[in-house]
Amino acid sequence: MGTSRRDFVKLLTSSGIALSVSRLALAEQPDFAAREILPGRQAWNPAATGAGRIDGVAKVTGSKLYASDFRAADLPGWPAKTSHAMLIRATDAMHIYDGIDLSRLSGALKPSVVVTAEDLARIGTRVPEFFAGDLFCPLRKTPLYLGQPIALLIFEDFDVFDQARFALRDATIVKYGEETGAITRPPYAAFRFTRVAGATPEAPDVYSPFKNGWVSPGKFKDTGHPIWERLPLPTGQEYAEAAGYGEDIRAELAADNPARLVLERQFETQSVDPMFLEPESALAWYEPGRKSLELVVGVQSPYDTAESVAFLLGAAEAAHKPARINMQFAYMGGGFGGRDHTPFPLYVALAGMFFPGRPVRLANNRYEQFQSGIKRHAVSMHTRMGVDRATGKIFAFAADHVLHAGGLSNFSPHVATVGAVAALGVYYAPKVDVTTVSLPSRAVTAGSMRGYGTLQPMTALEVLVDEMCTALPLDPIEFRRRNALKPGERRMTGNTYSVSIRTPEILDKLEQHSIWRDRAAEKARGREAGILVGTGVACVTKNYGTGADCSLAAVEIDPQGRIAIRFDETEIGNAVGTAVANRVANYLGGVADEIALAQTEAFTPLALVRSGDPHTIDQKTQDTAARNPRWVPETFSATAASTGAHVGTHAAAEAARVIFRFGLWPTALELWRIAPNDPRAAQWQAARWKDGQLTAPSLPPLALADIAARAHTRNGITGAMAHSFNRWAWSQADFKIDGQNWTAEIDALALRRGAGKFVRLDRANVKFPPTTLNQSGPTYTAQCGTLVRVEIDRGTGALRIAKGYSVLECGNALVPQVVIGQAQGGFAMGVGQALLETLPLYEDGPGNGKWTLGQYVVARGSDLPLRDLEIEVLPPVDADERPKGIGEVVMIPVVAALVNAIFDATGHRFRALPVTQAMIKGVLT
Amino acid sequence: MKSEPRTKTTVLTFTALLATLISIHAASGAAADMLATPESFAAIADTAARSAALFTEAGKVLTHPRCMNCHPAGDRPRQGDVQRLHQPPVARGEDGFGLPAMRCQICHQAANFEPAGVPGNPAWHLAPHEMGWEGKTLAQICEQIKDPARNGGRSLEDIVHHVGEDHLVGWAWAPGGDRTPAPGTQAQAGALLDAWVKTGAVCPN
Amino acid sequence: MTTLTVTINGRSYGPTEVRDELTMNDYLREYLGLTGTKFGCGAAQCLSCAVIVDNPDGSSYTSPTCIVPATSFNGKSIRTVEGHAKNGELTVLQKAFIEHFAFQCGYCTAGFLNEGQVLLDRLARKRVPRADLEKTIAEALDGHLCRCAGYAKYHEAVRDVILADPQRYLL
Repeated sequence: MGTSRRDFVKLLTSSGIALSVSRLALAEQPDFAAREILPGRQAWNPAATGAGRIDGVAKVTGSKLYASDFRAADLPGWPAKTSHAMLIRATDAMHIYDGIDLSRLSGALKPSVVVTAEDLARIGTRVPEFFAGDLFCPLRKTPLYLGQPIALLIFEDFDVFDQARFALRDATIVKYGEETGAITRPPYAAFRFTRVAGATPEAPDVYSPFKNGWVSPGKFKDTGHPIWERLPLPTGQEYAEAAGYGEDIRAELAADNPARLVLERQFETQSVDPMFLEPESALAWYEPGRKSLELVVGVQSPYDTAESVAFLLGAAEAAHKPARINMQFAYMGGGFGGRDHTPFPLYVALAGMFFPGRPVRLANNRYEQFQSGIKRHAVSMHTRMGVDRATGKIFAFAADHVLHAGGLSNFSPHVATVGAVAALGVYYAPKVDVTTVSLPSRAVTAGSMRGYGTLQPMTALEVLVDEMCTALPLDPIEFRRRNALKPGERRMTGNTYSVSIRTPEILDKLEQHSIWRDRAAEKARGREAGILVGTGVACVTKNYGTGADCSLAAVEIDPQGRIAIRFDETEIGNAVGTAVANRVANYLGGVADEIALAQTEAFTPLALVRSGDPHTIDQKTQDTAARNPRWVPETFSATAASTGAHVGTHAAAEAARVIFRFGLWPTALELWRIAPNDPRAAQWQAARWKDGQLTAPSLPPLALADIAARAHTRNGITGAMAHSFNRWAWSQADFKIDGQNWTAEIDALALRRGAGKFVRLDRANVKFPPTTLNQSGPTYTAQCGTLVRVEIDRGTGALRIAKGYSVLECGNALVPQVVIGQAQGGFAMGVGQALLETLPLYEDGPGNGKWTLGQYVVARGSDLPLRDLEIEVLPPVDADERPKGIGEVVMIPVVAALVNAIFDATGHRFRALPVTQAMIKGVLT
Repeated sequence: MKSEPRTKTTVLTFTALLATLISIHAASGAAADMLATPESFAAIADTAARSAALFTEAGKVLTHPRCMNCHPAGDRPRQGDVQRLHQPPVARGEDGFGLPAMRCQICHQAANFEPAGVPGNPAWHLAPHEMGWEGKTLAQICEQIKDPARNGGRSLEDIVHHVGEDHLVGWAWAPGGDRTPAPGTQAQAGALLDAWVKTGAVCPN
Repeated sequence: MTTLTVTINGRSYGPTEVRDELTMNDYLREYLGLTGTKFGCGAAQCLSCAVIVDNPDGSSYTSPTCIVPATSFNGKSIRTVEGHAKNGELTVLQKAFIEHFAFQCGYCTAGFLNEGQVLLDRLARKRVPRADLEKTIAEALDGHLCRCAGYAKYHEAVRDVILADPQRYLL
């Protein structure tokens, strides 16, 4: 431990708790880290030849990988026995909570420990602001939301735990008192996004969020609800200006003008569950002697989770405040956003602290997962689109979004903004006005889920566009073509995208596909056969990146040429480990065989420090802070927002480039006996790897292993560690390496020579992305279009998806088979969202603890056109195009395409999801 | 409840009171979860009408979700009191015992398994197509039950035995989980059908 | 309480006294630490908990473990995902799943492997016409939920294993 580590540690925990990794003593069985570093040197690496994923072998052999796989006995150094905890949750949020009656758990079934709100208050826990709201409902208060925890029960023995949960299953053990009605709270957030374009495309906008700043409305004093109107208040002038333009836009849309067609429609989407197959679970063990809390969790946001737990316990009284917290992060059985910033880890940490000396497992069964897991927001959208009849072009667009956010705020404010600025989808309009408000309720908390607020408005939009095309009339592809946002055109936030826009090519592909071309003929053929046939299309764009993303990686090459990568991303199924291995292989000629994900502690040599909030920091503060050569706006970010490809692999790629340029290349020159002043010495960019050999024009190929061996013996650079920050552009800095200047899109760098330690380099001329970009909203985006053909039985309303086609673009695909797999999985999830999945919000919904699969129906193979689902990935615009994140976009157009297909088949336009068989049957009779 | 019987009950013993209440209740339509005794139909003088009324009472069992769920019109069972299509989606297969990869008895054990809330019986399977009752009126079900071509070649005696004593049928009265049992008891259902047969096995309209 | 003896991947476990309410899933995961068999729903809806049961006559079938008492496996012989590979050598189906990129998060994979293997064993005992192959695969796998990958590559992997050895599996 040196100064740098202590600074880092202090930085991580203002709560005074050391966050660290203590390497568990290697016992006969592998420790957690060894299990999670894949594929491992002794194992077959399918990724080495592109034949599979790095985690392929582990997953097909049932190796312990997921948080739910581990028990104390699997972890060297832990006591052997695992105890088990369960949460008792409120199923009533309209009455006072009046205590729990555990008399059913008497004698042998008695829990060893019961933890309630009063215990938390006694020991002095703090709820992190992100999770604001009582962790347990205090006695004599009305529960905040359905499913709010009331008590944590810990059982020493599994058998007692198992019998207890069965005994409690149908029992009413929570007592409720007087009726109070649900707790009402003001909205979590409200925003307005307004843009008025200038007279010409080149002219500056008259008004836009990017130009003028983001605004929020004022609030009514008593309810806290937003006042959308423009009011002549001395304060709130910024909002008033936006509202003024917004009201003008709406007046224009409302005006009667035969040259224009304005459609105004309401669209409702439902609450759904991410339904990742592995319910949330975790292990905790508090060792009171060393005051160390050990945790094993599976989360998409490891660093934030560690910080949250540290904050939770940071001011607790001595017996319940650990001196150190060691968190280990596992692979996850699915995530989809639903494992990003959930309160679950807080409860397992509490379980550990209240059962000192004994490892405790907290694991949701599927009822509990439905009851407490983060949901996708149900959204009510009121949308107006105005089109000039002669040109078919959108002249104005307005929308009002109401997000049903549930019991805790979680990501709702951010989801609301991302959804609002996505409301116009792939299109351009010179006048746009979108309001959004996120409303609390007693429903289960909604937060991050695949699409992050954009699926709902883009579904409403693509259905509205379909209706507009019928009404005008105008060919649906032609309408989209005329209105598609062009490169360089400003979005509704007033900024431009900084990456390629491929909408025209996507539209061409959709138009040329047989599903589209044959739609009339297929419809007629269906008529003869007595079935209703319909075809639907949709085209969307989804941002990737959050505007404050980080990439951290350490890449090393050993004397045998074997490559190891440690980086900060977590694996939810998106194959980010394989992607990073492939991207690094571009520079180093070999696919890594040791990839450690979810590393929060591996980067201490960089000695990063951070301050402020990267989303809100002002330029002056950022510039001042940046003078500290170790300061960055943010150290870690979560695995979310489709960041795996673009963000997650960036630092590793940069580290690999440095290793090549300053480690392997000079070594190769030595082996080729090329002098430094030889012109060929500067040709490192012309070199290529082929089958593990470095080739350069007119030079004999060199094997990676030989170069690596020599690099070690000459004490050359054999490892690099880098950090970079992205606010719609990467940070950039200069580094002096072996006497040469190296400019790269990173803001921190450490190098290793031979078998030595990583040593930090000072940076010069660091340029962080300007803070004005915080007002732009996303500038990274990827498009996807979908066609579906449906066949509907007239008598029963049963719908069969006969054919599907999705075409997408993702820049350079790092693992092409995974891109296709993601698109197939996204199609299945889109089918569920459109046709099958729904959750009531309140007492009939999953908050009552009675929901599991069976009531909740997700798509099976038989629901999908498995042999008739075509996925096409456009090639990158050029060989250098960066990868784009597509994990979310591939789901989104499927939903509207199905709704549009149902209209085409039945003549009925549904404006609420899901569209079930019963509903279709209802409109056919 | 009529006022007249109440004046009578004041002089009756508890058991007699109960019997009287039940019989009076039956005559005016027993509660949904109970079955009237055959005797309570004695008041219906016309034998054919009485026979049909007996079958109608037994029909409360036949049309109850516990029975209807496994007497579907198609190939898929239903489940629960809400009678939704069975999830996971299973189908009768060739023999009514499921498709090769999803045989009924793999999930449905010999007895109810309460920790999982899954019903069970050693003979768990779907009634054959020809015994599908879904979507049929009680009159149609009655004709179907009487028809040897559609009732598995059973005589009327066999029917009485099947409903009144068969082990799988008996599950309907002890279904476990949160499933509502069939009305009355299996013995009462058998008794009603026995009386129905003895009065000419007349089907209701 | 009942005495339970069961053979798992060729090795005998027990006799162990277990509660009659203990599920087979908990027996595998909590008692034996064999966590390759997963827990997804507890309602036989997803079959990530399915194991292979080998009958004495050489036939086999998959069974969920989440809704079935451990005691009902007494005396039976089962295979879990941990038992497919022998001496580090992956089965043809395991390799096919990897090479087809059939899974993503992998949580459903054990169930699909078991189901696929049972299907292969069943077809080897009673072959089907080529024309019926896709339908046979679809029926066999439909009980298994996958939330990440959309099923297509699982089906292709199983199909390609069969098509690579048509004499064994097809008429």
